[in-house]
Amino acid sequence: MSGRLSKPAKTPAPAGVFTLVITGAPYSSQAPQTALHFARAALAANNRIDRVFLYGDGVHLASSLNTPPSDELNISAAWADLLADNDIPGVACIASALRRGLVDESEKQRYGLSASNLRAPFEIAGLGEWVASAASESRVLYFHKGS
Amino acid sequence: MAATLIIIDQPPYGSWEGREALDMAFSLAAFDQPVSLLFCGAGVNWLRKAQNPGEVEQKSVEKNLAAATIFGVESLLADRSACDQYGLAPADLPEPVMVVDLGPELTSSFSHVAFAG
Repeated sequence: MSGRLSKPAKTPAPAGVFTLVITGAPYSSQAPQTALHFARAALAANNRIDRVFLYGDGVHLASSLNTPPSDELNISAAWADLLADNDIPGVACIASALRRGLVDESEKQRYGLSASNLRAPFEIAGLGEWVASAASESRVLYFHKGS
Repeated sequence: MAATLIIIDQPPYGSWEGREALDMAFSLAAFDQPVSLLFCGAGVNWLRKAQNPGEVEQKSVEKNLAAATIFGVESLLADRSACDQYGLAPADLPEPVMVVDLGPELTSSFSHVAFAG
């Protein structure tokens, strides 16, 4: 008998694979928190999250500069921890990000900007990342700001 | 193949959500994924002709919409009751737009439905 742990069975798509799209900004909407609670519950139930995509105002979640008071949840840090701990790609749409002043090191250099502010492990990429999820068997859930 | 319906229910010029939803539709089309656009609620105001948003320093969304089918968006749809509510007769709508009734029969023909904002 092998002493190695067996790999967990791959969760069957589409029931067990989710893509989360967050379009509501932190601190002006509850969308990032609602999505975080969903992600924690999904992972706890052995579901898989293949990607978190930030779009529109949702890209503010990936800022490394968000500094709420110490007695409030730092939702950007909480999301970054969840992504890193579970090896989930977190992608901010490049067009949304550049419009709103969220840049990584290479965009900083490309546009000659004074600083970059993308929080690891978030990445900046195109809408093709979302298209890949929409065209896959993943269930794509949207977290909007609400009306 | 999974067909996507992008629903724009926000009026133009008041926020970027509609434009960014349009970018989502164009992006699917660019990757040869079937996609249609539906305008409902105040979103039907996207379809008005002769828009002039220069005074609010925005670009007209008419050109973007005119390019939609060229870029491979399969259909542009407008919700009938919203058109009635906002005083848009079928003859007022740009050429490729079809008037439909928004409901479960329509949305169930798509495998993926996304709202703008």
